[in-house]
Amino acid sequence: MSETLEQNLRSHGISRRAFLKYCTTLASLLALPPSAATAMAAALGKAQRPSVIWLSFQECTGCTESLTRSNSPSLEDLIFNSISLDYHETLQAAAGTAAEQARENAMREHYGKYILLVDGSIPLGHGGAYSTVAGVSNLDTLKKVAAGAAAVVAVGTCSSFGGLPMANPNPTGAVAVSDIITDKPVINVPGCPPIPVVITGMVAHFLTFGALPETDLHKRPKVFYGDTIHDRCYRRPFYDQGKFARTFDDEGARNGWCLYELGCKGPITYNSCATLKWNEGTSFPIQSGHGCLGCSEPGFWDKGSFYQPLSASTWHDIPALAIAAGAGVAVGAVAAVVSRHRQDSTSQSPTNGEK
Amino acid sequence: MSTLESEHPLTLDTPRLTVKAPLQRYDKQGDLSDGQRVEQAMRHFVRDFGATAATWMEACIHCGQCADACHYYVQTGEAKYTPIWKLEPFKQAYKRESGPFAPIYRALGLKKPVTAAELESWQELIYDSCTLCGRCSLICPMGIDIARLISLARHGMAKAGLVPHELWAVAERAKREGSPLGATAKVFRERCEWLADEHNTPIHVDLPRADILVSMSSIEIMKYPDSIVATARVLNHLGLSWTFRTDGYEATNFGMLAGNADWQKDSSLKLVNAAIACGAHTLILPECGHAYGALRWQGANMYGKPLPFRVLHISEFLAEQVQNGSLRLKPLQKSVTFHDPCQVSRRGGATRAPRDVLNALGTDLHEMTPTGDVNWCCGGGGGVVTIHRADSLRYKVFQNKMRQVDDANAELLVSSCSNCRQTFDDGQAHFHWDKTMLSLLELVSDQLIDTTATTGSQGESA
Amino acid sequence: MNLLDFARGPGLQGALAIFLFGMTWRLAGILLLRRKTDFSVARTGDWWFGAFRLIVQRSLPRREFASATGYPLALSYLFHIGLVIILFGLNQHILLLRTYTGISWSNLPSGLVNLAAAVTAAAMVALLIRRLSHPVLRLISNFDDYFSWLVAFLPVATGMLAVAHLGGRYENLLAIHILSAELLLVWFPFGKLMHASLIFLSRGTSGALLTRKGAAI
Repeated sequence: MSETLEQNLRSHGISRRAFLKYCTTLASLLALPPSAATAMAAALGKAQRPSVIWLSFQECTGCTESLTRSNSPSLEDLIFNSISLDYHETLQAAAGTAAEQARENAMREHYGKYILLVDGSIPLGHGGAYSTVAGVSNLDTLKKVAAGAAAVVAVGTCSSFGGLPMANPNPTGAVAVSDIITDKPVINVPGCPPIPVVITGMVAHFLTFGALPETDLHKRPKVFYGDTIHDRCYRRPFYDQGKFARTFDDEGARNGWCLYELGCKGPITYNSCATLKWNEGTSFPIQSGHGCLGCSEPGFWDKGSFYQPLSASTWHDIPALAIAAGAGVAVGAVAAVVSRHRQDSTSQSPTNGEK
Repeated sequence: MSTLESEHPLTLDTPRLTVKAPLQRYDKQGDLSDGQRVEQAMRHFVRDFGATAATWMEACIHCGQCADACHYYVQTGEAKYTPIWKLEPFKQAYKRESGPFAPIYRALGLKKPVTAAELESWQELIYDSCTLCGRCSLICPMGIDIARLISLARHGMAKAGLVPHELWAVAERAKREGSPLGATAKVFRERCEWLADEHNTPIHVDLPRADILVSMSSIEIMKYPDSIVATARVLNHLGLSWTFRTDGYEATNFGMLAGNADWQKDSSLKLVNAAIACGAHTLILPECGHAYGALRWQGANMYGKPLPFRVLHISEFLAEQVQNGSLRLKPLQKSVTFHDPCQVSRRGGATRAPRDVLNALGTDLHEMTPTGDVNWCCGGGGGVVTIHRADSLRYKVFQNKMRQVDDANAELLVSSCSNCRQTFDDGQAHFHWDKTMLSLLELVSDQLIDTTATTGSQGESA
Repeated sequence: MNLLDFARGPGLQGALAIFLFGMTWRLAGILLLRRKTDFSVARTGDWWFGAFRLIVQRSLPRREFASATGYPLALSYLFHIGLVIILFGLNQHILLLRTYTGISWSNLPSGLVNLAAAVTAAAMVALLIRRLSHPVLRLISNFDDYFSWLVAFLPVATGMLAVAHLGGRYENLLAIHILSAELLLVWFPFGKLMHASLIFLSRGTSGALLTRKGAAI
């Protein structure tokens, strides 16, 4: 526990220079002034391997995969390795009682100081019976662990907004972390999965400044979720010119035109995919020729087809409209009959036929 | 002629008293209460409403273009003369009483009932400042026949007893005496006899059978009797079987102009029955604009079934005779401009007929600008010329017409409507203008090549 | 469900239902009123041709009226053509219409649509100024005129803001734009916007009746 983060990195063969470079990159990603990189390096360097507890609930492990399956050992990977990840069901070696014991130890030792990362939504149906670990419901675990956490980071869309488990008809009664934890700073890092550097960025920010970064209305860090995919999309000029791919293999698609017509949700999706990209900055969905699904937005799972254009209606019940039209004819006919009746009730006198 | 003039003085010849800024007067007939007037007006206005009028009432987009077509607005610049505004209370009434949303409007009180005061103040707009000329109906981008709607509004006003008094009195006299200007059957017969004698022209009255029944406007009978002679001359020249009938000779229909549907029907049926009685196959309407509208287009509807005879305006009749070569005319080597009577040209569809006749007369036709279907109204139609309080407004409007005629720069000014002619004569006197309106019919009669039937003196145009 | 979800789903469905209900109500209420037979002998038999002729012909003023109505008519044409370009030329709109009609067509370049929107908005503002300043229009205008103007103007204005991503988060701009179009749909049958359908009825009626008489149309 006495080893600082910098020392730990050094022992893993990471030079001071590389560490500073990482801090600069992270600072710029976090939209901090250049001077902050030094402050960040100093703060991070001195940090004594912070304790992190990672709880997984109703999830697919995709978020962990996102973080750990980078092609080459990246700095965020190493940073992650450098923290004291005291509990992570997927990554930890311990199992059974020993594993739970490790968590309880960490909580006791670092009470009020550890960082809690959560992926997966919490099922409330049937008393939380849909997901339990060591006989304890996710809800109880979350409440208990969150009580001693300094900050809570909801990793992924499931823990941020409920995610796919919450999809209609939401059989397990899944809810997001922020629905349960209301007395602590919770930050959402949605995405299915989220971009790795965004996850470590939150940890680094907390370690540097002792607080989570500024968030938007969905509790997402503004630095990563401040712009829409559309705003930063390299295909945006085609949108602006009105050039759209009509199918996935037409001339427009081959020319790399805008995928709006194919259902891209970029215009209403706030995330950094278009700038940070994935797999060491290799690509992101739109670059690979598929529209954005909007996975970092609440409710994206229940907003109709991924291939339905954003401007198209999501509810077009033609028979109901026909009934409305028919009802109009009926009401209009009644009105006409009433008018005729009112006319008849006046005395008759000749009129000419040019009415 | 002098004895007749003293026996039957023409009210139209007596000078009218005009006041510079008269107090607005709201004429009323009958002793209905205000509430009853409104009730009557609305019920009868609404009762006339069918799908057609409703379509027009619904369609207005308040673009205001109709103002630019209306001689009252153009000459005064007063917004209240915007044609569609003249219907405002009736629009309100329509929406409240007959429109598709009427039940909602009534239930929620979204449209207030029209008040008696509103109707009274609209009297001027519906009667004094609308000649039913239908120019606005041509400019309306929505294709609303505003003139037709004003006629419907007059039905309501008439039932409410809110007709300008002179117009009402004229219509009432027509109903009572058979003529609005005292041209009773007796007077008419006497005039015909005297004129036949004076002009040595056979004028047939009350023949039991005839192919053609000819009618007259009482304005002609009383003020332009030469028209009677001219009519007779032309028909005699053609050698046709024709007659006047004292049981149906009056072609004007002031009941229609006042908005009284019952009186309108009375007047029309007299002519219809007379034509049927003598077995006529053609009824010729005289040089009168609204008479054409009343009988040619509304007559059959008054009768309740198709008429068993043709109805022609005299100008149409003349054009027909020109075309079939029966009418032989001496060329008149003069330049002429033609004033289109609204109800015959624009509203009646007989715009070409007078021009064919003028062409046959060998005249050099100088058209006015604009002309034909969009010619400006003289300002006297729709019964307006009878309304004394509207005189100053009518003169303002007439100035427009004078300018148009002057610009045409023709030697002769001709029309085929005695009501227009009367309006021109009045305007001429008022402005000491140098142009006199002539009758197309009289012009034709003067230029007949012939002969046996017209040996009398050539009647000078009035 | 957020605002955009509402606008794209139940909002649009509801607005369309009200639109159709109101349209058919009003049209049936007019058309099912009494029609009387005209017994007069028609001058010409082809009344339907007259109806068609007036519908087409009245789209431009007679020569005699052109100078008086030129300015407002030009503005009206500008904004109507602009609306057509926007509604049928912008791909986003085509995609919406495709949901209902199943057919689609090539969209216009966005630059052209944006230009049309700017011209449309400018022409509408000019017409509003005219309505507020011309004595005739001031007199004859009522709530319907001003409200209908607003209801027609809002989709144009909000659409321009949405395209430019100005004044808010895009999903809200888009939602407000869709909602403003829904307001237009809801108001359409009940106010003078209905002229879009009544123009054919009214012109056709006059054309038929006047042609019957051989009168000027």
